[in-house]
Amino acid sequence: MRAREGTARRYAKALYELAHAGGDTEGAGRELERVTAVLLGDARAHDVLTRPWIKPEDRRAIAAAIAQKEGARKLVQDFLGLVAERGRGDHLAEIVGAYRALVDGEHGRARAEVRSAVALTDREKQELSARLERALGKRIILEERVDDTLLGGFVAQVGSLILDGSLDGQLAQVRQRLARG
Amino acid sequence: MIRVLAIAALLLGMMPAAVLASEGGGGLINIDKSLFIQMINFAVLLFILVKLLYKPLLAKMDERTQAIRKSLDEAQAARAEAQREREEHAGRLQAAHAEAQAIRATALKEAGEEQRKLVEAARAEATRLVDAARSELAEDVRRARQELRQEVSDLAITVAERLIRKSLRDEDHRRIVQDAIARVDKVN
Repeated sequence: MRAREGTARRYAKALYELAHAGGDTEGAGRELERVTAVLLGDARAHDVLTRPWIKPEDRRAIAAAIAQKEGARKLVQDFLGLVAERGRGDHLAEIVGAYRALVDGEHGRARAEVRSAVALTDREKQELSARLERALGKRIILEERVDDTLLGGFVAQVGSLILDGSLDGQLAQVRQRLARG
Repeated sequence: MIRVLAIAALLLGMMPAAVLASEGGGGLINIDKSLFIQMINFAVLLFILVKLLYKPLLAKMDERTQAIRKSLDEAQAARAEAQREREEHAGRLQAAHAEAQAIRATALKEAGEEQRKLVEAARAEATRLVDAARSELAEDVRRARQELRQEVSDLAITVAERLIRKSLRDEDHRRIVQDAIARVDKVN
């Protein structure tokens, strides 16, 4: 898993440096996310990217064609073609995450992935973002999703930092204390 | 030899008769030239007797004495040899006895040592087994306690989760979220 993330980071960094040289890392990132969503969302496209018996040049042509169809710039087309040609199509989700982290770092911001038992109100989101920004010294982009498995509260993850404000976390602590005696 | 001795005895027996005859005058012996002849006869007879009878007798006696002495010497030597052999046998017997005693003592010592080692080994093994059993028992108890504690906590938390899930209302969720947001400041 760690090797996979390392590989994804290397690809993301290569794209980021080229996009940065082009002066539009955000735009390239949006296009990368959009085309990746299409590639991963379409089972046939996903198969083409991941099946090893399809010729590398065919994988490259197909990925680049889909990117072109989605209106991605040449850089993103070439990048996705390269990823497909090298047989790294199954790394795309991680590459998108790593690229996003690089762009966020460039703009002094961090992405907070929040899982909550019930949907947060706008006021709660604003307050949570403000407190996270104060605590981390970065602008926070909040990405919230409702997780039915949670009992109550939320779990926020910013990079490697995890803030557990859920009842589940508290119950887990109680369980550990009980088990330790 | 017997014959020679008989002749000697006869001659000796005749001597007193001759003496008596001379004393009575007109006996067997007369003081005249016959006496001289008789003396010569006697000397010749004595010589013959000495040559034929006495010397062989002496030689025989001496031979017998020598034989007896030799026998005695041999007997003495045999006795001495027997004594020596007896002493040698006694010495050997004593040495054998001493050696047997030494072997017995060594064997007893070795047996004692072996027994001591066996007892020590058995005792050590018994101690090890007891310790191992005690340790295993303690580990089992500890594991059982841990498992029981884990099961109890799992059960308690599962029940708590169900109760909480049933009883939580929207205002409770809002309050929990607010509390969690308030704790974010404590991150650093």
